[in-house]
Amino acid sequence: MGPCWLRFNSNLYFLVRMALGCLFIFSGFEKLISPYQNFLFIIESYAILPSWGEEIVARGWPWIEFFLGVFLALGLWLRWTLVAVMGMLFSFVVVVAQALARHLPIDECGCFGDISFPLPVVLVFDIALALIVGFLYLHYEKTVFFSLDEYCARHERQ
Amino acid sequence: MVAMSRQSRLTITIVVVICAVTIVLIAKFLPKLFASSRWTAVAARVKGNPRAPIQITEFIDFECPACALGARYLAQLMTEHPTVIRLELKYFPLPSHRHGFVSARYAECAARQEKFWPFHDRLIERQANWSRLVDATPAFMLIAQDVGLDVDRLGACLKDASIDSFIAQNRDEGNRRGVKSTPTYYVNDKMVVGSKLLESELGSLLATIQ
Repeated sequence: MGPCWLRFNSNLYFLVRMALGCLFIFSGFEKLISPYQNFLFIIESYAILPSWGEEIVARGWPWIEFFLGVFLALGLWLRWTLVAVMGMLFSFVVVVAQALARHLPIDECGCFGDISFPLPVVLVFDIALALIVGFLYLHYEKTVFFSLDEYCARHERQ
Repeated sequence: MVAMSRQSRLTITIVVVICAVTIVLIAKFLPKLFASSRWTAVAARVKGNPRAPIQITEFIDFECPACALGARYLAQLMTEHPTVIRLELKYFPLPSHRHGFVSARYAECAARQEKFWPFHDRLIERQANWSRLVDATPAFMLIAQDVGLDVDRLGACLKDASIDSFIAQNRDEGNRRGVKSTPTYYVNDKMVVGSKLLESELGSLLATIQ
């Protein structure tokens, strides 16, 4: 394979990383700008946490989601960010799977504000995203292309 | 070298975090500066003691099962504590409910004949029946007759465009306040979504008052 293919390949990793970052930014941002009680209501419907835990998650989770999205899109602390995103997606999978197993009557998945999907779709989507993030982590040297991490490293080398 | 790279990344991180937080805070609070003064412009359907220590504004969709649960709970609570709660109701018909808007229209027409609360109570009571129907109009007409509405006036009212715009105004107000689902309550201006959270909020408030 020549350098042209290598460049295309790296661009693809960059695009996937950006798309994932934007997805998390949108999801977190939408929750942050609307009153936290809307997200609290959705967390409550999953019936997995005590009420004090629901309150903490409703206030804190959107910030984590938003910053992971920003860091992923910019490629900052990328190795750690990829691990954290994978952890977040794994927690989504667990929460959605337990809701499905318990046949909880959940109308809103809490994914992207007003946009909601049936829980089985969400489960498949989250697993797919986790696999993509895992793939990006395994090919870190390509994922880091066009990132602030790469910029900093190059800047220090010069 | 590694330490220097780490240092520059830390600096970039701080700048990114500050910028991101600023953007979120501006997006969250800027619209409220312009919207808050208009919240009181829409008249509402009200019951209870005007000087009650607990003031509740509810955004309701009559077809939503959780709204029916919340309404039953509130009705029971207002019977037990008649002077403590004042309830103000605003329409928030959800597009996902086929009878949401029509039921709000009937309720508003009942309000214009001073029969809002009896109509509201029966809508809630019979929700499980009419919400299953393809066309719920006969069920609403039956309720209208039960509560003693003037059917001719009701017919004229249902054709009145101001009813739709009043409901739309209520809904717009809900949107401006960040309402996404029903029932959403404002208990002494604190937003509470869902009947379960309402119960815990009112439980702690009542314990403080008594």
